[in-house]
Amino acid sequence: MAADWEEIRRLAADFQRAQFADTVQRLSERNCIEIVAKLVGDKQLDVVHTLDGKEYITPSQISREIRDELYVHGGRVNIVDLQQIIHVDWVHVESRANDIVKSDKHIQLVLGQLIDENYLDQLAEEVNDKLQETGQVNIAELCKNFDLPGDFLTEVLSKRLGRIVQGQMDQYNRGVIFTQAFVSRHKARICGLFSAVTRPTPVNNLIGLYGFQEHLLYSVLEELVSSGRLKGAIVGGRQDKAVYIPDIYSKTQSTWVDSFLKQNGYLEFDALTRLGIPDPVSYIKKRFKSSKLLFLRAVCVGHAIVDQLEASVEEAVNSGTWTDLQPMLPSCLSPEDIGILVNQVMRTANVHSSARILSSTVVVSEKFIGNCVSLFDDFMQQRALKEIKNNPVFLITEEDMKQAAAMVESTSSSKKDKREEQRRKKATEGSGSVKGGGGGNAREIRIRKTKKKGRRDEDSDEETGTAPQRDRNKQMEVPFMSLEEVTAVLEKHVCDCPEEMLSELAEHIMRPLTKMYQEVVRTVFMSSTKATSGASRKQSVKDLQEEINNLCHNIRLFEKGTKLFSDETQANISKHILKTVCSDVTNILLNFAAAEFMVAVESPSSITNEVRVKILGKLPEETKAPLMKLHNSLNGKSIEDFLTNVDPAAEACGFMLKKGDKKRERQALFQHRQALTEQLKVTEDPALVLHLTSVLLFQFSTHCMLHAPGRCVPQIIGTLVGRISEDQQRLLSSYQALVVKQLVSQSKKPARAQEDADAGTEEGDEAEAVRKELLSLTNEVKDLVLKPRKTSVNDD
Amino acid sequence: MADEVTRKAVSEIPLLKTNSGPRDKELWVQRLREEYLALIKYVENNKTADNDWFRLESNKEGTRWFGKCWYIHDLLKYEFDIEFDIPVTYPATAPEVAIPELDGKTAKMYRGGKICLTDHFKPLWARNVPKFGLAHLMALGLGPWLAVEIPDLIAKGLIQHKEQQNNS
Repeated sequence: MAADWEEIRRLAADFQRAQFADTVQRLSERNCIEIVAKLVGDKQLDVVHTLDGKEYITPSQISREIRDELYVHGGRVNIVDLQQIIHVDWVHVESRANDIVKSDKHIQLVLGQLIDENYLDQLAEEVNDKLQETGQVNIAELCKNFDLPGDFLTEVLSKRLGRIVQGQMDQYNRGVIFTQAFVSRHKARICGLFSAVTRPTPVNNLIGLYGFQEHLLYSVLEELVSSGRLKGAIVGGRQDKAVYIPDIYSKTQSTWVDSFLKQNGYLEFDALTRLGIPDPVSYIKKRFKSSKLLFLRAVCVGHAIVDQLEASVEEAVNSGTWTDLQPMLPSCLSPEDIGILVNQVMRTANVHSSARILSSTVVVSEKFIGNCVSLFDDFMQQRALKEIKNNPVFLITEEDMKQAAAMVESTSSSKKDKREEQRRKKATEGSGSVKGGGGGNAREIRIRKTKKKGRRDEDSDEETGTAPQRDRNKQMEVPFMSLEEVTAVLEKHVCDCPEEMLSELAEHIMRPLTKMYQEVVRTVFMSSTKATSGASRKQSVKDLQEEINNLCHNIRLFEKGTKLFSDETQANISKHILKTVCSDVTNILLNFAAAEFMVAVESPSSITNEVRVKILGKLPEETKAPLMKLHNSLNGKSIEDFLTNVDPAAEACGFMLKKGDKKRERQALFQHRQALTEQLKVTEDPALVLHLTSVLLFQFSTHCMLHAPGRCVPQIIGTLVGRISEDQQRLLSSYQALVVKQLVSQSKKPARAQEDADAGTEEGDEAEAVRKELLSLTNEVKDLVLKPRKTSVNDD
Repeated sequence: MADEVTRKAVSEIPLLKTNSGPRDKELWVQRLREEYLALIKYVENNKTADNDWFRLESNKEGTRWFGKCWYIHDLLKYEFDIEFDIPVTYPATAPEVAIPELDGKTAKMYRGGKICLTDHFKPLWARNVPKFGLAHLMALGLGPWLAVEIPDLIAKGLIQHKEQQNNS
């Protein structure tokens, strides 16, 4: 019971205790935040809330925590890290940190990091350790390692230099700290290395090779060079391309240049460049200010060589010979330089007018060239005579020659001429169509000659060698000799010349030679024509007159003969006569006329229609007009026209045509018959036999001369009907039939040859039979004419 | 019935089991013990809910109870003494709580300052005998009465705030 009450009492006490226990002051979070915000806003409370919004913290607490964290982190802490650790807004952290930095001079804010003196001391010690170990430290490297700005580090370290860091800073380059030992070691190495250098060496390479510190190297090097410990110079400053040139090298270089110039008399720019002189021209100019050097493209030449060249040129000019400068020239000269040099020499020697440069190095005096030209005088005379004899028509024109080339070829007797002719023909043809640039090439050659530019490459040389030949052939009227021939002659007479020079010399004298040759040919021709115009000419005129007379007479007789035929046949026969006999007459007249004006052809018969026109063009007016008419009548149809034109033409040429008389007529008839029978006697060809026989029979029966083409034979035989005996008639017609048959089979033969071989010999047999029959008849037919000859003679 | 907060508070008060009054020597002790436990629980609950509003203690036998209660209105704390006896017929009859200070100031009060409890308190109590105890009395009886009457009285100017009572 008592225990129960005891328990009650205890419960009552508990109850009291429960009642008097603190009541929990519960505010909702929202309210709390609002209250605090209000307080902060009213500036009654100075707190900041943490980032998660769960806690408030006073600024002084932040400061304390920052200091604590700084200590914990060993004197260096990033504000960003702080912000994460303290967990308040970055702005507060930063402002507190700034406050701390302001209030405490041992703490600094660098790159958003708080750093205190202890840390810096520690850093300096670390740096010192490293410095003592390696001899030098690079601030930039430290920057990387410590992640601090270089300026800051430099400042910090320089403050501690000598206190904690045992070393010194480079004066020029504050980015490096090194120990004295390191410096002297380096200096010794540099001194040793550069003392050993004997040729220009890029400093950069050495740095790479020996691992020098670039900044240190330059300052030490400059010191050594200026103190005279190192004999040399640094070119290019403190940059990558800096080059150390030892004095000994420049000395050897200049001695080499001096001695080379002294020994050889020239300097090659290339060689200097190889020696390492960057600008050879200015170097030479500087070094050899006093001596007169001739600067060429790639070489400069000393006075000695120039003098020597001048002397030899002068000698050559004075002695009227030639000299090759090549052996005297330095072998390294380029063709261009040679050209410049030789020109210079020519100018200074003042022999431009009296000497020429051939194949770029050979100086030939004009006198020598003159001698060479005179070598050809005799030869030229001989040739000219030959030429005149062979083909005076060469004197017409080049175009004539082209057209009459075939004809001329047949007339020219000398083999050489023929060859030349062919070559020329080809050339003229070729120059017209294929090589349009022929003219251009010729010009090029001329330029080359005047400029003496020396040889180009071989190809163009060959081409240009042939081109002018063509051109010259076109230009000149009479060719003299080919280049090769001229060269050969020169070679014979001018000994020990280089071949190139010879060919160039030949080219050079080609033009004067051809000119001279033309002159010579003209004079020779003139003299020859003059010679023939004497007594012999009179004789020939007489002969010609006789011949023309005869021919004209014959033509008249032939004309008479033609009148016996029908119109058509008459026209055919007339045409034939015009083409043959009349053309001959015209040609003879023309040739005679031409001869007077120095254009003549060896055999008048070979003159063709075109040549006639050409010759006509050359004749003077008074002879030209009648001859032109005569020529035109040849193309007409009527023989009468021709005959009317012959007289004035002949008169123009100074011939007198005699009128025909009976006696002459008979004589002509007889002669004609005689000629025909002679021909008939020897011939075996059935067709010709038939032709001749029919013509002769015609003459017998009509006493008219006939000059008819072969295809008029049937008509002739037709007219004979009634004038000869029937036997003869039959024989003739049968023979004619056989001849026709044979001709037909012959014309078929080539086409049928294959067939014949296949289809047996039937046709062959037939042809054979015809042939045999013809053979047997031939004599009979011949007899027709040959036998009655006696009677006819008796008749006469 | 009272508001939500009250109902929740009541539901958290442990119910009593022993049906005995002060006259039952043995069982009263047991009843008293349960009363205390319920009160402690209620007070603790109030404290945790930041809703502490009265102090109460009893005599040695647990038959007479006295203490004080307070009400906060317009950020001012009004404090009143309370007292009551356990009736002989307890728990069948609910005790009558008296606030002597307010005697004669409001109509909802009997002579002697005993508060006039709401109409539905009595049937509620009667339905819940013997499960309701003193804690329930405070929560369902005095609490709602104060919440209704005090603001009214203050508005009427019948109660003046005492300066010295400004302590929590």
